[in-house]
Amino acid sequence: MPAILLDRVLHRYGDTTALRDLSLTVEEGEVFSLLGHNGAGKTTTVRIVNGLLAPASGTVLVFGRSPLDDGAIVRRRTAVLTESPTLDDRLTAAETLSAFAEMYDVPRADIEPRVNALLAEFGIADRANDRVGGFSRGMKQRLSLARALVHDPDLLFLDEPTAGLDPVATQQLHDMVRQMARTRGRTVVLCTHNLVEAQALSDRVAVLGGGELLALGTPAELARRITPRLEVTIETDPAREGDAVALIAGLDGLTVTTDRTGVLRVGGIPRERVPDIAARLVAGGIPLYRLEPHEPSLTDAYFALQHAGKGSR
Amino acid sequence: MNQRIVAAIVRKDLRVVRRSRALMTPLIVLPVLLMIVFPTVFTFLPRIVGGAHTAFAEMFRNLPDPVKRQFGEFTEATWIRVVHTQMLAPLMLLVPFMVANVIAADGFAGERERKTLEPLLYTPATDAELFFAKLLAAWIPAVMIAFGGAFIYAVIVNVTAWPVMHRVFFPDLTWTVMVLWMAPAFAALGLAGMLLVSLRVRGMQEATQLGGLFVLPVIALVVGEVRGAILLGPLMAILIGVFVWAIAGALLAFGVRRFRRTSLVAKL
Repeated sequence: MPAILLDRVLHRYGDTTALRDLSLTVEEGEVFSLLGHNGAGKTTTVRIVNGLLAPASGTVLVFGRSPLDDGAIVRRRTAVLTESPTLDDRLTAAETLSAFAEMYDVPRADIEPRVNALLAEFGIADRANDRVGGFSRGMKQRLSLARALVHDPDLLFLDEPTAGLDPVATQQLHDMVRQMARTRGRTVVLCTHNLVEAQALSDRVAVLGGGELLALGTPAELARRITPRLEVTIETDPAREGDAVALIAGLDGLTVTTDRTGVLRVGGIPRERVPDIAARLVAGGIPLYRLEPHEPSLTDAYFALQHAGKGSR
Repeated sequence: MNQRIVAAIVRKDLRVVRRSRALMTPLIVLPVLLMIVFPTVFTFLPRIVGGAHTAFAEMFRNLPDPVKRQFGEFTEATWIRVVHTQMLAPLMLLVPFMVANVIAADGFAGERERKTLEPLLYTPATDAELFFAKLLAAWIPAVMIAFGGAFIYAVIVNVTAWPVMHRVFFPDLTWTVMVLWMAPAFAALGLAGMLLVSLRVRGMQEATQLGGLFVLPVIALVVGEVRGAILLGPLMAILIGVFVWAIAGALLAFGVRRFRRTSLVAKL
């Protein structure tokens, strides 16, 4: 059973269509990213999945249940880290976590140890009894994250989770996401503009634009689908550089640039032609020190998708 | 209904209110003024202000005959009874009303303004649990403050009036009905009014301005009492209480149908 199933979900705010026939599934134990510009429909999707918004049409199931009909049961298994830390400045860090542990029906005996463990894990233990109003943005973000984890959710939504975090805390969060999914089988949905983060963490990504699903797949699949040609860096003996250029430049559609130090950059190579190039160079007696294909990144794919999506809308 | 979730939200809301100077100031000042300062000052007024006795005698003569008959000849003891059982009594109803009104404004519009409502909407609390918790968080302290304030009021009145009355004359039956029956009703009216307003507005300031309009029935009652248009006896207190409970109940019933996550989230 998928953790999330969306089937032709439509949602409107007045005359504006926020989601247009969105269909996707997120499997249990998966790290899934929702990518898209502001207004693409990411937050709307999260709210619909948690029963905060009712779609105009379509089917939404979370662990096989409807968030609208079984909202309390669904939300007991989910948690949402909102984009900005939505904490009450007048509560202390420990009070915040304890209050939400109660609201999520965490067994009473477990609350104190769990709160203390989370405060320690996120480096706020020494500020446990300080009011949140005095916290820095990064500390608030860490506390928000701890709050989201206080009931050990099966499905965690993280909206821009590393905004405001320093590099150490960012790395800690990345490790936590991986650990949650890989070793504990939890499902994590990232809503982010940080494409590098999405590529590093996600099993699959969905690119949204104007409420539509523009693409769905693993980061590598999307990158290959959108930019099927590679760039390859070739390093040879500087004295044979001219011969190498001559051998490669004869191939259709390739661009070759060189920096006169024996390093060639060959662009526009179809993936299946890479072995052919290597074979030609070797057959031509060119010493081959290095041949390094550069995979297109998710960032490349994202911008290509958004550009294409804008064109089609 | 999951009582644990409701209790957790109530505790959180009350803690937040307790730590807000902006909220606590009116919640302390109003009860102190109406339930401690006013009874003390009005008891001693004829003794400390020259000519006050004559002015009050004149005021008493202008009261409707049914009121005058109830209190007999004008003496200092009459003045004390008129002031405490007739004139100041309805003012006490402002306390539960305002306390509930202010806390409800913070609980609904205030949470939305501080952007702390959204995490609550993501919890397993059902719409009904959320609604009920927000009501209790405003109603319980309003009624507790009203009861506590009424007790202090009664003590102050009896102590300060002892040299004249020479007995425990207060509270009378009317006052007792007002405290136990009308005060909780006015608290419910205060929070019901604020709830309806908060469902429509985004900010705390807007909510308190519009929600404050629901104080008009209390003001009307006070004016009616002072002018003698309403003779507040036990039966009248019960009837007014029934009326206010009915209005508050209708408003709350209307509110609970409108209180939906799906509506609240649209205003986030």
